[in-house]
Amino acid sequence: MTAQLVVLGAGPGGYTAAFRAADLGMEVILVERRRELGGVCLNVGCIPSKALLHAARVIEETREMAPHGIRFGAPAIEAGKLRGWKDGVVGRMTDGLAALARRRKVEVVQGTARFVSPHELEVTGAGPRQTLAFAQCIVAAGSEAAGLPGFPDDPRIMDSTAALELGELPERLLVIGGGIIGLELATVYEALGVRVTIVELTDTLMPGTDRDLVKPLLKRIEKRYERIMTGTKVTSLAAEPDGIRATFEGKGAPDASELYGRVLVAVGRRPNAVSIAADKAGVRIDDNGFIPVDQQMRSNVSHIFAIGDIVGPPLLAHKASHQGKVAAEVAHGGKRAFDARVIPAVAYTDPEIAWAGVTEEEARADGLDYGRGAFPWAASGRSLALNRDEGITKLLFDRKSGRLIGGGIVGTNAGDLISEVALAIEMGCDAADIGLTVHPHPTLSETVAFAAEAWDGTLTDLYLPKRS
Amino acid sequence: MAAQTIRVPNIGDFSDVEVIEVHVREGDTLAAEDPLITLETEKAAMDVPSPQAGKVAAVSVRPGDRVSEGTEICVLEGEGGDEAAPGEDGESAEGGAEEGPDAQARADDQGADTGDEESAPARSDGAKTVIAVEVPDIGDFSDVEVIDVQVSAGDEIAAEDPLITLETEKAAMDVPAPRPGRVTEVHVETGDRVSKGDRILSLEVADGDGEAKATARAEPEPIGKSEDRDAARPRAAVESARREADGTPSAGPPAGLAASGPGFAKAHASPGVRKLARELGVDLGRVKGSGRKGRITGEDVKAWVKSALSGGGPSALPKVPEVDFARYGEIEIRPLGRIRRFAAPRLQASWINVPHVTQFDEADITDMEDMRASLKGQAETRGLKLTPLAFVMRACVKALQAFPNFNASLDAAGENLVSKQYLHIGFAADTEQGLLVPVVRDADKKDIYELAEALGTLSGKARAGKLKAEEMQGGCFTISSLGGIGGTAFTPIVNAPELAILGVSRARMAPAYRDGGFVPRLMLPLSLSYDHRVIDGAEAARFTRALAAALEDVPGLVQAIP
Repeated sequence: MTAQLVVLGAGPGGYTAAFRAADLGMEVILVERRRELGGVCLNVGCIPSKALLHAARVIEETREMAPHGIRFGAPAIEAGKLRGWKDGVVGRMTDGLAALARRRKVEVVQGTARFVSPHELEVTGAGPRQTLAFAQCIVAAGSEAAGLPGFPDDPRIMDSTAALELGELPERLLVIGGGIIGLELATVYEALGVRVTIVELTDTLMPGTDRDLVKPLLKRIEKRYERIMTGTKVTSLAAEPDGIRATFEGKGAPDASELYGRVLVAVGRRPNAVSIAADKAGVRIDDNGFIPVDQQMRSNVSHIFAIGDIVGPPLLAHKASHQGKVAAEVAHGGKRAFDARVIPAVAYTDPEIAWAGVTEEEARADGLDYGRGAFPWAASGRSLALNRDEGITKLLFDRKSGRLIGGGIVGTNAGDLISEVALAIEMGCDAADIGLTVHPHPTLSETVAFAAEAWDGTLTDLYLPKRS
Repeated sequence: MAAQTIRVPNIGDFSDVEVIEVHVREGDTLAAEDPLITLETEKAAMDVPSPQAGKVAAVSVRPGDRVSEGTEICVLEGEGGDEAAPGEDGESAEGGAEEGPDAQARADDQGADTGDEESAPARSDGAKTVIAVEVPDIGDFSDVEVIDVQVSAGDEIAAEDPLITLETEKAAMDVPAPRPGRVTEVHVETGDRVSKGDRILSLEVADGDGEAKATARAEPEPIGKSEDRDAARPRAAVESARREADGTPSAGPPAGLAASGPGFAKAHASPGVRKLARELGVDLGRVKGSGRKGRITGEDVKAWVKSALSGGGPSALPKVPEVDFARYGEIEIRPLGRIRRFAAPRLQASWINVPHVTQFDEADITDMEDMRASLKGQAETRGLKLTPLAFVMRACVKALQAFPNFNASLDAAGENLVSKQYLHIGFAADTEQGLLVPVVRDADKKDIYELAEALGTLSGKARAGKLKAEEMQGGCFTISSLGGIGGTAFTPIVNAPELAILGVSRARMAPAYRDGGFVPRLMLPLSLSYDHRVIDGAEAARFTRALAAALEDVPGLVQAIP
């Protein structure tokens, strides 16, 4: 088979690239190793985890209303039914994608692809092995959960995919890795009644994220989780009949080994550049296994593009889809470039944490001349009405130009609120632009305007001493 | 009778040149070197002479047409009666007009039966047939651009040789030759848009097996049918990749970004405006925003493109007021002369771009004139007119050698000085057509007699309107002498990108104070205009001093050049 454009991988980056290219009139073949389209994000990532996080939130919110006059009984959790609902959500999305591909006449080939030359891929799948020849290729092969070497092969030691399967709920869960994925899944399991322990190698949870944003989350989970160990590593996991025995080493390590019903390994993700034999096409792979690309998403082989996780951090679906559009349009001959100034990131924990642009840690490290406007949600009527008061919205401004350069939010729906920050940065807004934009009351979105006003010196919802 | 297509020869750097006169008509009989047409280049008019004798069978150009090297002028029938070549093309006035006199040799090359050639009628079933190669089925595309033509008339090609490259929406594809043969005529040009069935070229093929008619339609590879397509696409793909590797334009998108200047990342512009700027190839760092707080809007980007296209930019020149002269009396409107029309924008460009300063000085040329008078007769016997200009040019060579900064040009960016390791000197010639500036090549390698000879030849050609374009190119410095007419001084405009021009006015007798008394000396006024961006006033003054000294050092002027 041959095609003008082959897109390798049908995750959010790949299907976006394929659909955009098809809409531009190109003849596109989309190669996907899964039976369903949507990649990790739809099948075993963003979407199923958000379904389960919603369930967790329902449980939490009902529980938290008990002191305020609404009391339910303890939730009866039918894991199988919950799993079925989650799978239904995923199924609706993937079916929708398949229909979108059909209507665009994007040919989907199921199988595992490997490059055999700069213009050919070999696909092995259900059918006979076949060769795909292409004029141009967009590599969107993504990443997979990184494992830890030396641990036993036991179904009770799970990666994020297995954890989302929601098999038998253990009494105790050990989460190895205190990053976004580990913390989100910990949120789900804890809400479902599992006692959670988190172990993180570095000294903080969510390394790289501003401490003031992580603190409210930390404060909440410290009370709820069985144990949070930072600066600690797991030295061994041993499969025993009653569970997995873990031994630790480091500053938070317990004296003795501990037995957990299940262990979730969430220590990061690894790009798939090597497994698709990108080198056979002459595509350069860097020391971390990523494919370096230029602003037009071209690899060093100019007719082979790469987008999404496989080109490096941040490993986020919304980055991949934007890069996918750029790659498709460039492949079609457009003068496009991926020049987004910020890519927002969200941890769908409870509370949610979201940020876009320069973080305060980065601003300090780079010696930027910046100013900070922050609004604590304890002064937000809407937040209090939601029975939560730990949130913060903060915005960072460049002192010289006055423009917004970054922002971070922790609190309910922070992930939805961060979009305004991203838009404001892309549009080059300063504090007055944001503060003078009328935000509806009473909403959490007001906190963005208030943070801008706090910097601008026009905030009335708090009393802030005058800046010199 | 053999016919030859006469095309525009190499005419220097010019293309798209206007034909101002056509000297021949159909039926004329010409001798070799007879003028066919007159072209008007930026610098001068030039005649295109006939390369050979013959009878004009057809004329392809008319006054007003614009032509470039290779454009067909006319078809000339040779005097010899060689009727060997059966022409394929009925479009020309006489059948077979496209066939050159080399038909016989070609027939030999092809191993055809040359013995039969003389009696072979056109389009015979004999050894050769001309077939039309057409654009094949190229899938769903029509009106597709020809981005490359790889063959030209006269080429011998093998089957599968690429003929032309088409660029479809999806990829570039080569159309291969359906069979071997010799190209007799190419019907498409780069940039043409073609569809299935359009004629690409005429191919003269050996026709032993009578297959010609059957294969008259070429069937190149990329056919829109299943198996064929499978085979064809990768080929197109590989082709396009190959072209990319060669660095030649390909099917695919441009290799680099149109716009990613350093100002892009920091420009105060929204994502939509940045996208627009990339599409239009605008570096946002160069656009001034008109929006709130200096934000660059889409309108700003478009306005920038508009002003860039009109060449004016935001600092476009204020216009001279228009006046209805007829209101104040009778007027007559005459078009500007050709030369003046071409010279005007160049003079304007120099006047606007070059900060001019003019340095005045005088040289004592009493001794020089004595020497010139003494050598004049001797020179005349050699057929040379020893003019003062020859001496001035010789002195300029010496001054320029002493001040190499004057023999240079600023590069386009204005960041580097391009020093020239040669020394060609132009001189302004006043002709009936207008001001021309012929250039004396390698003036530094010519002695006074050789300079006089070159000046005489070039002036003669200038007056006769016979200067070739290349005789007016490559100057490093210019001399404008108005001494023959009069005047005391003037401020010439630098012939940019040269850096300086010497104006020479009329020499006059003046009292010079020497050894306690006044003596009459012949003084020559010098006016040196120069580009102040490169040359400082002090340097210019030193230059004119050196020039005057050179003019006063008479033995140095007449020295032989080693």
